[in-house]
Amino acid sequence: MLAYTVRRLLIAGVTLVLISFVVYGLIRAMPGDPAVLARMGMEEGQALPVNDERFQEMRAAYGLDKAWPRAYLLWLGDLARGHLGTSLHQHVPVTGIILEKAGPTLLLTVISLGLSYILSIPLGLYAARRAGRPDERALSAVLYMLYSIPSYVAAVYLLLVFSVNLDLLPLFGMRGPEHETLSAAGKAWDLFQHLILPVTCYTYGTLAYYARFIRANLAEVLRQDYIRAARAKGLGETAVLVRHAFRNALIPFVTLLGLTLPALLSGSVILEQIFSWPGMGREFFHAIATRDYPLIMGLTMVFSVLILVGTLLADLLYAVVDPRISYS
Amino acid sequence: MSRDGRSPGFWRDAARRFRSSRIAGAAASFVGVLAFLALFAPFIAATRPIVCRYKGAHYFPILAYYWSGGENPIFSRDKFRGNFPKGLRTKDPESWALWPLLYQDPYRRVESGEWPDRPGSGVLEPPSARHLFGTDELGRDVCARVLFGTRTALLVGFVSMGIAAAIGLLVGGLAGYCGGKTDVVLSRLIELMMSIPTLVLVLALMSVIERPGIYHLMAVIGLTRWESVARYTRGELLRLKECDFVLAARALGAPWHRILLRHMLPNALAPVFVTVAFGIAGTILLESALSFLGFGAPPPTPSWGAVLKGWHGNLTCWWLAVFPGVAVFLTVLAYNVTGDGLQEAMDPRLRR
Repeated sequence: MLAYTVRRLLIAGVTLVLISFVVYGLIRAMPGDPAVLARMGMEEGQALPVNDERFQEMRAAYGLDKAWPRAYLLWLGDLARGHLGTSLHQHVPVTGIILEKAGPTLLLTVISLGLSYILSIPLGLYAARRAGRPDERALSAVLYMLYSIPSYVAAVYLLLVFSVNLDLLPLFGMRGPEHETLSAAGKAWDLFQHLILPVTCYTYGTLAYYARFIRANLAEVLRQDYIRAARAKGLGETAVLVRHAFRNALIPFVTLLGLTLPALLSGSVILEQIFSWPGMGREFFHAIATRDYPLIMGLTMVFSVLILVGTLLADLLYAVVDPRISYS
Repeated sequence: MSRDGRSPGFWRDAARRFRSSRIAGAAASFVGVLAFLALFAPFIAATRPIVCRYKGAHYFPILAYYWSGGENPIFSRDKFRGNFPKGLRTKDPESWALWPLLYQDPYRRVESGEWPDRPGSGVLEPPSARHLFGTDELGRDVCARVLFGTRTALLVGFVSMGIAAAIGLLVGGLAGYCGGKTDVVLSRLIELMMSIPTLVLVLALMSVIERPGIYHLMAVIGLTRWESVARYTRGELLRLKECDFVLAARALGAPWHRILLRHMLPNALAPVFVTVAFGIAGTILLESALSFLGFGAPPPTPSWGAVLKGWHGNLTCWWLAVFPGVAVFLTVLAYNVTGDGLQEAMDPRLRR
């Protein structure tokens, strides 16, 4: 198990380096580098004039005067020493920005994953228990519909109803305008109100997918011989389902984590944009728009690390919950 | 059993099973309706005549909606400037024209007096008899834009998934058939693609392109979404390689390309089909999401995401959100149901 983990970590490290190489090459190929953008900003009447000398200075400072493979190696060297560089636009270390923005994104992701896992289990069990009945068919149809609603369309609809028409929930952001003046309970309530819609949009798709997954797995497990044995000894249907079938249906469930994370993080780019949520997805979007190379690189790395860790965690958990699987 | 006494082949059997499912059939019909709408959108809402008689000859100005060179040069020579009713009326009183169902344009506002006795389209008009879905922030008819958006969505969906399927089959096929070192390298590549969030990669790629057009968009999406096809193809080929009929073919001395193309690939195609159906749904979703973020096809290309984007600046104009949203939802739902139907019809393990 330990050897396996170490090997997987090494592979993940190589994958990371490859990702950074590809993305670095890509962003250096983008038209309009930051120095050019700054010079264009001057024409629009920016405070800081950018003359030719300053232009060359900026290019040197950003590493744009070097060929990109060389600049990439320098970047990689800095990364090895723990520096992700300085944001070209905000003039603060990228590490600081990421640390600041990771919180809100993880807040949404973790709450939504937790809710999906907790809520999908009873839904899946219920659907399996009542298989074929009208209420189960209705539930399954609803879950299927939910799974097919694009999250950003749902976000727009929910905002339209609850924020614009009913004016019940805040339209955007993570904190209200007078957040700082509130008491601790008031702050929590304020955050909660801002969380409701984003969390809903993050959760419902995953939840529907998980519930359908559990139902499908239970249906397969229920065909096994040991379930027939449990029924034959006179156990009630619910006891068979919960005590015998469910535990075995759980095994593939843990691997879903590895499949969900990329989708959630991808979704964060668009959902955080809609809700003006101050997280990494929104920051990434701004970084792309402003050609903020170090920030794009830093954020891509964090996204990829999260995904790789999620996949690895899922594989390791698989071995933990299923004694038939061992990686030695 | 079919009429000639032989048992039906795999594909015919799968088709029969697919048709026997009412819901999958309904979804497939809806997909057909969408394709029809996409193909004939200019016949329903547009500002060019389907056919007209002008200065003694017949023309089909509607073809301009299908390819940019489709317009007869006579209209630009006579300075129509896109205003066909006025042009036809003033330049040749003898002319006649057969018009699309609704005189609306997905690319621009209809000006006042363009159509006899009709005022120009207002900006952000709510739905009415004239503008069934209202108008957007530039006075364009939302109905026409959503209708033409079907074209964009399906075109991007099919072309990019076609690219993705081709890459996926190639990579997965090589990895699964060759095995060994090739497999290790290609599997790493697949894993690499899976470890970058799609939207992050697509945004980065789209901003690399100087003036991204709709064909760039298709290429970028195709280049980033092949990994699921590759994964399934690889898995299937690895499984099939161990099958007895492949061994038999090899024992008969069949060359490798015959084994791969005649014996293995046809058996590996079923799961790929299913993946592609789901992939089209995902691609359509991605296209509208990118257009919503402003990184999709350039304006004024009509796209569901682009209409939705208009809502973000005009929050009280519900029609800008509701209609394109429903269009995306129904399309994605239809493709998902079709994909599930295909899976049920083709996967013998799911048979009851």
